[in-house]
Amino acid sequence: MATAIGYEQIVRMIRGGLEAIRAHHEELSRLDSALGDGDHGSAMLRAVEAAGKAIQQAAAGNTPKLLQQIAWGLMAAAGGAPGPLFGSFFLGMSEAADEGEMDAPAVAAMFEAGLAKLRKQTKAQPGEKTMVDALVPAVEALRGPPDVAAAMARAAEAAAQGAESTRDMQAKHGKARHMGERTLGHIDPGSMSVTYLFQGFAEGVARGS
Amino acid sequence: MAMKKFINDPANLTAELLEGLVQAYPSKVALDGEKLVVRAKPKEDSKVAIVTLGGAGHEPALQGFVGEGMLDISVVGDIFAAPGPPPVLEALRQMNRDAGVLFVVLNHAGDVMSANMALEMAEAEGLNVRKVLTHEDIAPGMHAPAEDKRGLVGCIPLYKVAGAAAEAGMSLDEVCRVAEKYNDNMATLAVALKTATHPQTGEEIFTLEDDEMEIGMGQHGEAGTGRSKMLSADETAERMLEQLLLAVKAARGDKLYVMINGAGATTLMELLIIFRRVRQILADRGIEVACSHVGEYLTVQEMAGFQMHVAKVDEELIELMNAPCDTPFLTVR
Repeated sequence: MATAIGYEQIVRMIRGGLEAIRAHHEELSRLDSALGDGDHGSAMLRAVEAAGKAIQQAAAGNTPKLLQQIAWGLMAAAGGAPGPLFGSFFLGMSEAADEGEMDAPAVAAMFEAGLAKLRKQTKAQPGEKTMVDALVPAVEALRGPPDVAAAMARAAEAAAQGAESTRDMQAKHGKARHMGERTLGHIDPGSMSVTYLFQGFAEGVARGS
Repeated sequence: MAMKKFINDPANLTAELLEGLVQAYPSKVALDGEKLVVRAKPKEDSKVAIVTLGGAGHEPALQGFVGEGMLDISVVGDIFAAPGPPPVLEALRQMNRDAGVLFVVLNHAGDVMSANMALEMAEAEGLNVRKVLTHEDIAPGMHAPAEDKRGLVGCIPLYKVAGAAAEAGMSLDEVCRVAEKYNDNMATLAVALKTATHPQTGEEIFTLEDDEMEIGMGQHGEAGTGRSKMLSADETAERMLEQLLLAVKAARGDKLYVMINGAGATTLMELLIIFRRVRQILADRGIEVACSHVGEYLTVQEMAGFQMHVAKVDEELIELMNAPCDTPFLTVR
């Protein structure tokens, strides 16, 4: 059980997310070549490398500062849409994070703030074949379980279902929007990145408890 | 087919191409940090500065148009990907001045997000910046909402007229007015014949059958709207120009700027043949080509095809288009 997590566990959680994306970056690019220009995985790889570097350089113990440095690091390194989107997600989280230990509701609130900041950057709504389709249910799933690891596992499961649901959607955003019906049958790569991120978060948190 | 390109480590493409650019044109451009292409001789602080952003892989766009009479800074991302907000904010800070900064953004999801985040931070810092968003692609339909229309090669003549206005000492209001006037009167349509490979992934960015072409293809291989069997140069020019003239509402007696921009693997021979037909049709309709450019300005690797760009221009825009500029890939004397 981990009813509350502190700086060290948050670092483990984020590292878990970064590792999961690194492990799947080639698959993410393959998914993107069906819908975009096939570089989503390499953009995400640059983002996780920059985020990893930011973690190494962060002054230990300060979660808000850590999240802010991750946001700036990955925005500087990863361009395209993923940079500002994941950047604003971490930036929003940094604004709501506590310096001390956070219980499950505080963790959920932190992720909700990240989602809110991200959604200011894009008009994408659920059902429009974007990362939002995985991220919204994932963040919603964090509310409830008093155990952070259990909540994160639920979030990862919800993200995966959300990503799978994008298969039957028609893209309305990004480079894929111009392909219309030809986007049917393909999973949105951004929603898959969110899924791997949360699966890695869940593994990272579980490892730390 | 395996990718055949003269490259080294794909991770270093952008860094190496920028190094080559500034070394090839040291009297015109320089590199500031990793992502900012700046003028070798900075413009006076009393004049409006012009900043833009965009992904690499479209050479000579966009950074090839930094220099006297056009851009002050081009913030370069990675291949086909916008730079993130931090270097964009850095560019806006560097150019901040009483005269103001015009910030030209092409309508692509990543570019717009990065630009808006940087702009939000710039405004919080009190920087004197105004944004112009280009969105002249008529592939989604000329009446489609502006946010659905991509920014294509029209940014380059827009840099030209805005850059000349800034160089002439116009105020930020006036430079914005000129840029918006050009923006409101331009339209672009692209056609693709053959795909390109993404130089980092080695994957083809779309597929087209050998006997097909697609009108409306975007500059990252985003699919267009109209696939058809191959047409001749004249038929292709006619079909595209027809839609563009409707979009800019060109009528007898109007003057147009025309650009035929090669996508990377279409020969200058073909581009000139296309231009010739465009010029003929316009002459038949009593529309004057006031100025024109034919060549490669914004490419998509080895994609075959071109972008046809037109803009209705008045005397002011023609004068600004013909004003001197000195950049690596566009010079007017």
